[in-house]
Order: sequence, then structure tokens, then C-alpha cells
Amino acid sequence: MFLLREPPDNSAFMIAAYSVVAVVLLTYSIMLMVRVRAEEKRER
Amino acid sequence: MRTGRVLIVIGLLGVTAAYVRAIAFTGVEAVQGPAQKIMYVHVPSAWCAFMAFSLVGICSGLYLWLGDRRLDTFSEASAEVGIVLTGLVLVTGPIWGKPIWGTWWQWEPRLTSTLFLFFLFVGYLTLRRAMFDPAERARYSAVVGILGAMLVPFIHLSVYMFRTIHPRPVVLNPEGPTMPGAFVATLLFSLSAFTVLYLGLVTTRYGLGRLRELREARHVSAA
Repeated sequence: MFLLREPPDNSAFMIAAYSVVAVVLLTYSIMLMVRVRAEEKRER
Repeated sequence: MRTGRVLIVIGLLGVTAAYVRAIAFTGVEAVQGPAQKIMYVHVPSAWCAFMAFSLVGICSGLYLWLGDRRLDTFSEASAEVGIVLTGLVLVTGPIWGKPIWGTWWQWEPRLTSTLFLFFLFVGYLTLRRAMFDPAERARYSAVVGILGAMLVPFIHLSVYMFRTIHPRPVVLNPEGPTMPGAFVATLLFSLSAFTVLYLGLVTTRYGLGRLRELREARHVSAA
């Protein structure tokens, strides 16, 4: 006999993790480009 | 540096596509539920972070041998990107651990050594900021970079060396992948996106380092 059960509903943890990753990657990428732009301006 | 910016944009789009694939087109694991999908960002972050720190070790060793300043600049760039990725590993891991293990954190070998790796490379960057002579800075930080990178294989093997609650590798293990094919495909897709993003970030950060180096050299020759 098979015991079927629904997977646990813990999608809030998945959403939290995905949000943190998205925010950190986007912020770091933008900050890096801003730092490069500032250094290039200094060059000129 | 333009290449780096293009790779960053491609990488970010790739990570977005990996999100869509993981959330909408990959099945929910029966026992762990949706929290299992955290693996699709946690594992690629860890792989890329370990690649970043391994490259710091290799380039630092080559710098001590060849004395080429570009190797030192690349090491600094890779260390900074590696710290960001390790930060993600250390945040997403506990978010997965809470619903699956019932606790945010365990002082067990894999987690503890990853935290030490993070602190070690924060120390590496702090050391760099504290030293003003470029040659001395490059030499000392190369030694710290090599020592830090030596932790990477230890962290990978820690799940085999110690009794630990951290899962063993699901793809890179001697028996082959231990997940359904669709899960492995999503993981590899996400890994490719993170790798492209890493390449973009490290190329751009390397370009920034070179610009600063040139300015530093001009200041020295003007003084």
C-alpha cells in the first residue's frame, strides 16, 4: 500500500532565498559598474 | 571592461531564466517541498565561490613565481567576487536548513569551515587595504590567498571526512548524480548562468583594479 501525502508548504523559504540572491547580485553588479564609471571619470 | 559588462547582463538574464525554470518548470520534491529549490541558487553560488577562491590561490602562486602585477590584480578581483558569492551561500544555506533540519545553523564541519573561508578572505581584502607599498601588498596577500585557497578542497571533502548533517554532493560524487534528470538539468542551467555572471563580475572588477593601479603608478611617478 502506498501512503501518498502532499509535499510540505514551505515556499516562503524559497521565495526568501531567491529574493536575497536577486537583491545581492543586482546591487553588487550595479555598484561595481558605478565604481568603474567613477574611476573612468577620474581618469579624464 | 565592455566585455565584462556584457557578460554581467547575460549572466543576470541567465539567472532570471534559471529562476523561471526552477519555479515554473521543475517539479516539487516530495519530501522537502519547494524549499528544495533553494539548492538551484545555493549550490551554483558555492561552486562559483570555490572556483573564485581556487583561482585566487593559483594566481597568487603564479604571482610569487612570475612577479606579474596583473596576476595580483586578478586575485583581488576574484577574492571580492568570491566573498559576495560565499555570503550568498551562508545566507541561503540557513534559509534551507530551517524548514529541512529544523534549525538555522549547526556548528558542523562544512558550515563552520565555509564561515572561516568567508572571514579569511574578508581578512585578505582588509590586509590589502592596510598596506600602501604595492609590491609588499601583493607579496603578503599572495601568501594569505594561497593559504585561504587550501581550505577549498578541505571544505568539499569535509562531508566525507566527518560525521555531518550536510548533504553529500548530488552531482560531483563517485556514484554519479543522485537526483532526477530534470533536477540535474535545472541545476546545471543555473550553474552555467552563475558562471557567466562570475566571469562578468570578475572581468569588470579586474578592469577597475587595473585603472586604480595606473592611477597609483602616475601618483608615484609624479611625486
